[in-house]
Amino acid sequence: MVFKLYFSRVPTGLIKWVLNQLGYNINEILILFAFGFSWYSLKMSDNSIIVTNLSKTFTFPVRSATAGWVKNLFSPEKREITAVKEVSFSVKAGERIAFIGPNGAGKSTTIKMLTGILFPTAGTISVLGLDPSKDRKKLAYRIGTVFGQRSQLLPNLPLTDSLEFFGVMYGMSDADIKSRISELVELFDLSAFIDQPVRKLSLGQRMRAEVAAALIHRPEIIFLDEPTIGLDVVAKKALRDLLIKINKEEKVTIFLTSHDVGDIESLCDRTIVINHGTIINDLPTNELSRAFAYEKYIDLIPKTSFKNFPSLLEGATYFLKSSEKITVIVDINKLSVQDSLKRLLELFVVEDIDVYNTELETTIRHIYERDSAR
Amino acid sequence: MQYPARLFADTATIVARCGVLLLLYAYVFSLNDGTIKGTTFAMVAWSMFFYFSFITLSSSRISRAIMQDITSGQIEVLLSKPITYLSYRAWWQIGAGVYPFIVTTILGAVTLAMTVGIPQTMKIPLFLPTLLVTFIGAIIVTLFIYTIVGLLSFWIEDVLPIFWIVDKAVMILGGSYLPVALFPDFMYKIALYSPFGASVFVTHTVYESWTTIWYKLISIQLFWIVVLGGIIYFMFSRAVKNVSVNGG
Repeated sequence: MVFKLYFSRVPTGLIKWVLNQLGYNINEILILFAFGFSWYSLKMSDNSIIVTNLSKTFTFPVRSATAGWVKNLFSPEKREITAVKEVSFSVKAGERIAFIGPNGAGKSTTIKMLTGILFPTAGTISVLGLDPSKDRKKLAYRIGTVFGQRSQLLPNLPLTDSLEFFGVMYGMSDADIKSRISELVELFDLSAFIDQPVRKLSLGQRMRAEVAAALIHRPEIIFLDEPTIGLDVVAKKALRDLLIKINKEEKVTIFLTSHDVGDIESLCDRTIVINHGTIINDLPTNELSRAFAYEKYIDLIPKTSFKNFPSLLEGATYFLKSSEKITVIVDINKLSVQDSLKRLLELFVVEDIDVYNTELETTIRHIYERDSAR
Repeated sequence: MQYPARLFADTATIVARCGVLLLLYAYVFSLNDGTIKGTTFAMVAWSMFFYFSFITLSSSRISRAIMQDITSGQIEVLLSKPITYLSYRAWWQIGAGVYPFIVTTILGAVTLAMTVGIPQTMKIPLFLPTLLVTFIGAIIVTLFIYTIVGLLSFWIEDVLPIFWIVDKAVMILGGSYLPVALFPDFMYKIALYSPFGASVFVTHTVYESWTTIWYKLISIQLFWIVVLGGIIYFMFSRAVKNVSVNGG
């Protein structure tokens, strides 16, 4: 109604006349506008997250040894740390993204800006079409968060009370809360400990409960900051399987930070690598190893046993030297696999040979090291 | 309801603190023929009881809760929820204190009514509505004062020294040790016009002067609610822009 009233006052005749004088046809302009708007809407609906030139600088006071205590108290020197520097990326709805980097790389800062907890110093963020720094509460209704090192559950109350509490917090009806809790109990296998106080749960049980609590309101995106930290291998696998399941069944976009290569390999179809606050790689996870596999590993198994370990060609180094097995690392920028195999077969009498790429963990370590050396 | 043992412990502490003071004052008043400066022991007993029953609401604990959220980084979890952080903390605090408050107040009021009787001021029709308004005003002023103390954690992390100073000011000016009716003039003025005194104006309601000053005291509470509310708004809007937690 307000829209209609407002536009009824616009002198459309005048606009048409001005456009005609400039040689434009109003119908053509309207078609172009509609086309542009549709394209923009399509782009926005396709992308859950759009980040453009995002930066975050932390400023903090520093005590000066030369200044007096009055100056240090009332007018201390300021030091700035740029945690995130002109980061840009986008995430499509339903994607599973790993956002990785060494400690202090800026991944947690980025995730906190995406969820509206921290305010960016520069740049723009659009999460589900909303600006997290302006629409934090509106956005919170549509996203879920899990911070591996913190708990959102109420420690002294039974888990079911925490889930109900969050349901009420997200404005769900009683019936909806009950049915959603039933769904989550089944999905996450929570029935064995649903009535226990949260503080009595094991870490693995608690993390499952944390993820369930983050999903109570059926969010479109879930942000997980190191969700598998401290979990044993069985609990890790269970959590990863659950995350894949909710991604497939409920179409939840997963945005995850982790130091655990297993999380990245088994869970995420795309990996963004950040270091020193800038994105250094953004590619499908299965291409990560290949793109950086400038090292090949060659395992040699002896016919009897290895006794001598002669020097190798330039580009090849021993990784493991034992009488039962030798592992050689070959830098394929310096030496081809063919040449290295030829030379190794001249040097050793072997029963079996195995040539393979570096593991993802090694690749990631190389990426961090190479970037730090720049 | 989850912690009957804690409820019992809280109630026992209040009974012990209030009880010892009342026994002392009963003795002092008996030495002065039951009246000091026109104030009876019954008035003093009810005034002190109102102070102690009010503090069972534990509104002051909001300072520590905010400080813990900030220093531990737990605030990031709450900021990712669809809530206004400070309202959440305030309602949480009220919810945590309401049950001990009801239990202590009912038990204490019945005991006092049976032992020292009910002062005349508490029998007039004006008493209950004005007590209710002052009580709500006192809760808001208390929450606001201690919220400001808690929010200081954004800048100075450990606010416990400030908390203790403020808490002692509230205790003294609220009349927990010396009933407000027995304050010297200058101290009575501080109790009247400072936010610390305004946060426990419920202790003034039992004295005869209440019938003439209630509107003044409620106005003072309103004034402090507006001023402290403005300070909180300013502090919090600046603080959230400076949130910095481990790993970001």
